Amino acid sequence: MSQSNENPLVIFSDALADAVSKAGASVVLVDARRRHPASGIAIAADLVLTADHVVEREDEIRLLLPDGSEQTASLVGRDAGSDLAVLRLKNALLQAAEKAVYEARVGQLALALGRPTPDGIQASLGVVSAVGGPVRTGRGAMLERYLRTDTIPYPGFSGGPLVDAAGSVLGINTSGLWQGGSLTIPAALAWSISEALAQHGRIRRGYLGIRSQPVAIATAQRSTLGREQANGLLLVGVEEGSPAEKGGLLVGDILVGLGGAPVNDPDELAAHLVGDIVGQTTDLEMLRGGQPVTLKVIIGERK
Amino acid sequence: MINFPISLTEELAEVVQRVQRSLVVVQDGRRGVGAGILWRRGSWIVTNQHVVARGRDVRVILPDGVELPARVAAKDADIDLALLHIDDNRTPAALIADGQSLRVGQYVMAVGHPWGERGLVTGGLISGFGQVQTRNGRGVIQILRTDARLAPGNSGGPLIDASGAVIGVNTMVIGGDSGVAVPSHVVSSFVDQAISRQDKYSGSSTQSRERFV
Repeated sequence: MSQSNENPLVIFSDALADAVSKAGASVVLVDARRRHPASGIAIAADLVLTADHVVEREDEIRLLLPDGSEQTASLVGRDAGSDLAVLRLKNALLQAAEKAVYEARVGQLALALGRPTPDGIQASLGVVSAVGGPVRTGRGAMLERYLRTDTIPYPGFSGGPLVDAAGSVLGINTSGLWQGGSLTIPAALAWSISEALAQHGRIRRGYLGIRSQPVAIATAQRSTLGREQANGLLLVGVEEGSPAEKGGLLVGDILVGLGGAPVNDPDELAAHLVGDIVGQTTDLEMLRGGQPVTLKVIIGERK
Repeated sequence: MINFPISLTEELAEVVQRVQRSLVVVQDGRRGVGAGILWRRGSWIVTNQHVVARGRDVRVILPDGVELPARVAAKDADIDLALLHIDDNRTPAALIADGQSLRVGQYVMAVGHPWGERGLVTGGLISGFGQVQTRNGRGVIQILRTDARLAPGNSGGPLIDASGAVIGVNTMVIGGDSGVAVPSHVVSSFVDQAISRQDKYSGSSTQSRERFV
């Protein structure tokens, strides 16, 4: 239909449609809740990454592949906190999506894709409006980083990818993390969570057993610490029998660092307590009576 | 090297200007306005059926500002299309795409009169294809979905592709919440049948004819 290949608008339009077909070859329909199918993205020949909140039943999960064939899938792992779930097909039939090798930039073009109906791939165009984080999700977890776009979050787009103009995946879209809107989990983060889910079936979150509140660290004490850190966490409660109590933490201590990284507020602490740190003996840097103390604590797991 | 965004912008403006030469305002009595597009030979205008539902005192305003009475030559509520005829041929017909090689993700623009503002343009993609029940439930028709923003007043206006060719007629009535367009090949076959009937019954009165599909 193109009249002239020189027309930059036709070149642009063709490129967008090419990006949709390329990435769309890895986007599947995920039917795991009543009446409202959602989307998912192939991350390996037999693995699909989707949104946790669209998986309402763990049996009889049905997928509709880009070639039109129907498959059943089983749940490998899920994480309500980051709203991600990984599904596995019996047969390796999928074309894995290509992950973008760079971080999304504000202003770049982005396409939201989904396959909520058997009528084929669906797409919406926009730009990356914001790159932010860490943020506490509506589901109680910390998301280190997130993207926001002005693409239209059509019903059933949750679990589908946000792709760039070349069809590489920038992130996973979901309307389940943030009330009243759609959010995109950046690809690097989504892929690392999905690897943990494929391996362990869940995301391990650490547990110390403390109650705390942020307090300012006096200038004089900053020099004792040897670093410029504005805040720490004043312990106002230590749970009986908890990893914190076993490690010798006391009410009145100020927690300033964990495993060498500063802890300014509870969100920062939560972000440090994810993944392989669980079960590890970890150095906790404290201020006790104005003096720095380092205690060793075996990080527990939050049930 | 050329600056791609600038040449893109220039081409957008040119494509929009071209289609605006074939865009009319459609009024049905004192009701709000809809859009219409010169589909053929400068005197056949396509719009939505719901825009001219009353069908009395239908008038069009041409791009040069001239206002003319229009005859409702055919309408089909099922696919929300109407064909109007004007006794005038100063307005060029739009370039019509065949509608057979459309792809999800290709760039489109909707041109119309949202909220009565003349000739406004919104951009987006073909966001998907679909089928919807016709309004009487007697059948299904193929539709295009777009993420270009549509508002009342876009009804009956064209959805164009990157080359400026009309790929569909926007409608706000069928297809639920998202922007929906009836693809050009459906419109063209409606127009063909309507015109061939007109020729057959040439000389007949200005009665509107229901159902041509």
